[in-house]
Amino acid sequence: MSRDPRVRDEIKFHRDRLIEDYMAGGMSRTEAERRAFLDFGNPLQIEESVGDVHGRWLEDFGRDLRYAVRALGQHRGFAAVAVLSLALGIGANAAIFSLVNAVMLRPLPVPQPNRLVQITRVSSVGRPGALSYGLFEYFRDHVSSISGAFAESGGDQAIVIDGAEDFVTADLVSGGYYTVLGIEPAAGRLLGPDDDALSPSSPAAVISDRYWERRFNRSPSAIGSAVTIRDRVFTIVGVTPRSFQSARTGHAPDIALPLLTMMSEGQRTEITNNWLSVMGRLRPGATVEQADAEVQVLWTSFLKTQAAQAPEKNRPGILRQRASAFLSPDGINPFRYDYAQSLLILMGIVGLVLMLACVNLSGLLFARAAARQREVSIRLAIGAGRGRLVRQLLTESLLLAVIGGTLGLLPAGWFSGRLMALFVNGRSFTVSTAPDWRVLAFTAVVALLVCVVAGLAPALHAVRFNVNPALKEARVQGRWWLGKSLVVAQLAISMTLVLGATLFLRTLVNLHSVERGFDSDGVLTISVRSSRPYEAARGFAVQRAIVERLKRLPGIQSVSAAQVLPLGGGLWDRVVQVEGYTFRPEESESVGFNVIAPDYFKTVGTPLLVGREFDDRDTGTSPRVAIVNESFARHFFGATPAVGRRVTSVGVTYEVVGVVRDAKYQNLRQPVMKTLYISWLQRDGDQPTRYSYLARVAMDNPMGLAPSLERAIGDVDSSLHIRAALTYATLVERSIATETIMATLGSVFGALALIVAAIGLFGLLAFQVSRRTNELGVRMALGATRGAMIGLVLRDVSAMVAAGVLIGAGLALTLSGLARNMLFGLTPTDPAAFVTAAFMLGLVALVAGWLPARRASRVDPLIALRHE
Amino acid sequence: MSPDARSARPSHLPDPEWKKGSAELLVLSLLEAQPRHGYDISKLIQLRSGGALKFHVTSLYPLLHRLEKQGWIVGRWVEKAEQRRRRYYGLTPRGRQALRAKHQSWKDFVALISRVTGVQHG
Repeated sequence: MSRDPRVRDEIKFHRDRLIEDYMAGGMSRTEAERRAFLDFGNPLQIEESVGDVHGRWLEDFGRDLRYAVRALGQHRGFAAVAVLSLALGIGANAAIFSLVNAVMLRPLPVPQPNRLVQITRVSSVGRPGALSYGLFEYFRDHVSSISGAFAESGGDQAIVIDGAEDFVTADLVSGGYYTVLGIEPAAGRLLGPDDDALSPSSPAAVISDRYWERRFNRSPSAIGSAVTIRDRVFTIVGVTPRSFQSARTGHAPDIALPLLTMMSEGQRTEITNNWLSVMGRLRPGATVEQADAEVQVLWTSFLKTQAAQAPEKNRPGILRQRASAFLSPDGINPFRYDYAQSLLILMGIVGLVLMLACVNLSGLLFARAAARQREVSIRLAIGAGRGRLVRQLLTESLLLAVIGGTLGLLPAGWFSGRLMALFVNGRSFTVSTAPDWRVLAFTAVVALLVCVVAGLAPALHAVRFNVNPALKEARVQGRWWLGKSLVVAQLAISMTLVLGATLFLRTLVNLHSVERGFDSDGVLTISVRSSRPYEAARGFAVQRAIVERLKRLPGIQSVSAAQVLPLGGGLWDRVVQVEGYTFRPEESESVGFNVIAPDYFKTVGTPLLVGREFDDRDTGTSPRVAIVNESFARHFFGATPAVGRRVTSVGVTYEVVGVVRDAKYQNLRQPVMKTLYISWLQRDGDQPTRYSYLARVAMDNPMGLAPSLERAIGDVDSSLHIRAALTYATLVERSIATETIMATLGSVFGALALIVAAIGLFGLLAFQVSRRTNELGVRMALGATRGAMIGLVLRDVSAMVAAGVLIGAGLALTLSGLARNMLFGLTPTDPAAFVTAAFMLGLVALVAGWLPARRASRVDPLIALRHE
Repeated sequence: MSPDARSARPSHLPDPEWKKGSAELLVLSLLEAQPRHGYDISKLIQLRSGGALKFHVTSLYPLLHRLEKQGWIVGRWVEKAEQRRRRYYGLTPRGRQALRAKHQSWKDFVALISRVTGVQHG
């Protein structure tokens, strides 16, 4: 080891003077040198301590690093296995963390995002809910601890620029939007309170940087351009900066329009028409607790006014509603609520995978420590400090962790992007999962943790080697115990992961096999958009013409339409009165409500049980008719026939003409609602764009029709376009995307864990059998049967598996409660799942243990006895 | 330390790290009159204390290098004819100041101990 030569000179001088003095006192040279050596100790250590004063550790680190690189270069197999397993463990963590970061941690790119609060209604399960325009004004004007507030809503708009039509994503924003957020324009000016008026003299709009580039090629002349939206002319007055998308996570609008100008009469005036997200900025010095306290007072007084106007029986329900103000640095972020749980569980899963990788690396390092015993003993014998050696060994695991982490980070970016696409699942959601400083810092911390967790114990173990060979036997015993614990740890982690995978897989299977009440095979769903709204009679004619035109496409069996499709996200609620039925005082009068076209049930594959479907006889002038589902009929009519009964809703009385099988509308998990269907022929004033059109097609791939759809729709009306055309099967898959992700990732990581554990077990047993060849030979010589020998090895296996299963099951029991509400058709403590997981673990262990066991049973006593 | 305890203490209380400080005080004092090399310093400490104080090289050289890094002493190599080159350490102006402060602090400390224990200097 090379040190500062001048320090060495200085110390050597000291030592030589000491020797001279001893000799001057009458000692022989040999005696003087011996005394000086005793006084002095190890000169290297003095040099090291002096080096530490000068911050020499960095130099040491560089030297250790070079040494580690050389050492790993000499053991490429070991390095490759270690780096690969770490890359996997760290990469998986970085990928999931990228998602957590993108969806839950990243604040809005605005000044002081931690002063932003969201004001919302709060649902019974704690989810934020929208507010009406009236409530927005009420809170904006009365909460004194906020300096300003804005309301926002997003949606698609058809716009016309220079006669060319374009469909864009729009943001409707109130006047305070940009000031409260603190956004500066990239060009021109942004919308302010003066722009947000009912009918402004010159309506203004602001475009995004992205749209500026896409549509105007960043030309300054974009500002001042006219945009026509719903026959109204807006002037583009400015461009938002590139860094800013919107106050809503994942929403990337092309254009922002003043809220008041764009609102309908109903949206502006109905106090219960909740459709807006509201945010505010805390006044300097004010706290979110103060803001929330004010909101509570205002909300209570609002509810009391509402309750006073409502019928007696509705009052408790009204007064139970909640609202709240809470810090929201990441803006309006529904995804946090949608995906927090899945992401945290995934984080837990990859955390376990990382632990597995650590255990694996520990095992490898222990094995290496054993192989290095001689080297370490020699170093200790010639006076290397133990701390210094530990530092050197840790440098090696740090190097492995850093290489593994870097290698893991590369696919992590790709993986998190793919995973995000799976979660987002066809919806428009623009959020970058590219690694930022948070992801990099997280990965660095994880790599460091790995280095310490996996490397420290083997390093300390390595320097414990005593130079005295008498301790050898005890050491081997110790290592056997250690190897066993590591394998049990691997088995336990695998058990937890396999159990988790089993639970999620069974959930997916249960969801697939649950009774849906419709048949998605061979059905195409089509939604349309139009650049301008139709007046009532024309809209009515257009929607019927779409159905008629679609029927003429080749291979079509039937065509229909509905406002809400099964698994389309939930039916509307309608309050009903049912002839001959009296609601109990606390009973809800709401039922599910859907508007459908003729042939709907035939097309969607929901069996008609009694009566008839709607047909062309049901018109605006004929008696109003309705169809109900089984749940509705059973609940309100019991055993008596439903057909012919009367149901009243929103002042219209319908006669029930048919009963259909129950179908799932919200999603596959939710129970079926009592449902009332009415015909679109008896309801006008709807826009054709509000319906989803369905076509049952007699071909293997319904998407084969897609290319001809745009023209067919264009034939009906030139301003109509296809918004989306998907097979129904795709919609069904999307409705269970999260469950599919959990089951797939759970299984992949579970299988991986099993493989790692199997390799660990195999390695340990193979080593053990080869070490015990001698003993096994003696046993054979003394008449042990092959079966007995196999049993001998497998007894070890079963002991380790039993321990792994028990520890893993315990771990799983404490963790799986977190996933309780993500499961379907089983509980986290499902005994069958535990048995399945334990069985799989046992099977894999048996396979891993079989080869070493067989080898043990084939030991030739003669060879074995010569073995030693 | 509670604020009460702090306010009850006289302002001229010695450096609480007097143990570590005493090593620095010894080395700085020895260098006050003239520059010396490491062996000289350790020898003098041992000699003047009649063998009671002994500075092990393992702590002496790191201490010297630390004091040098703090700018209190400065080391320079001296080569003379017929002699091996050796490294002499001398006090810097800042080192002198530090020495004075340490002297005072030590005296205060000793005086305080004496007052409390009633042991007077002979």
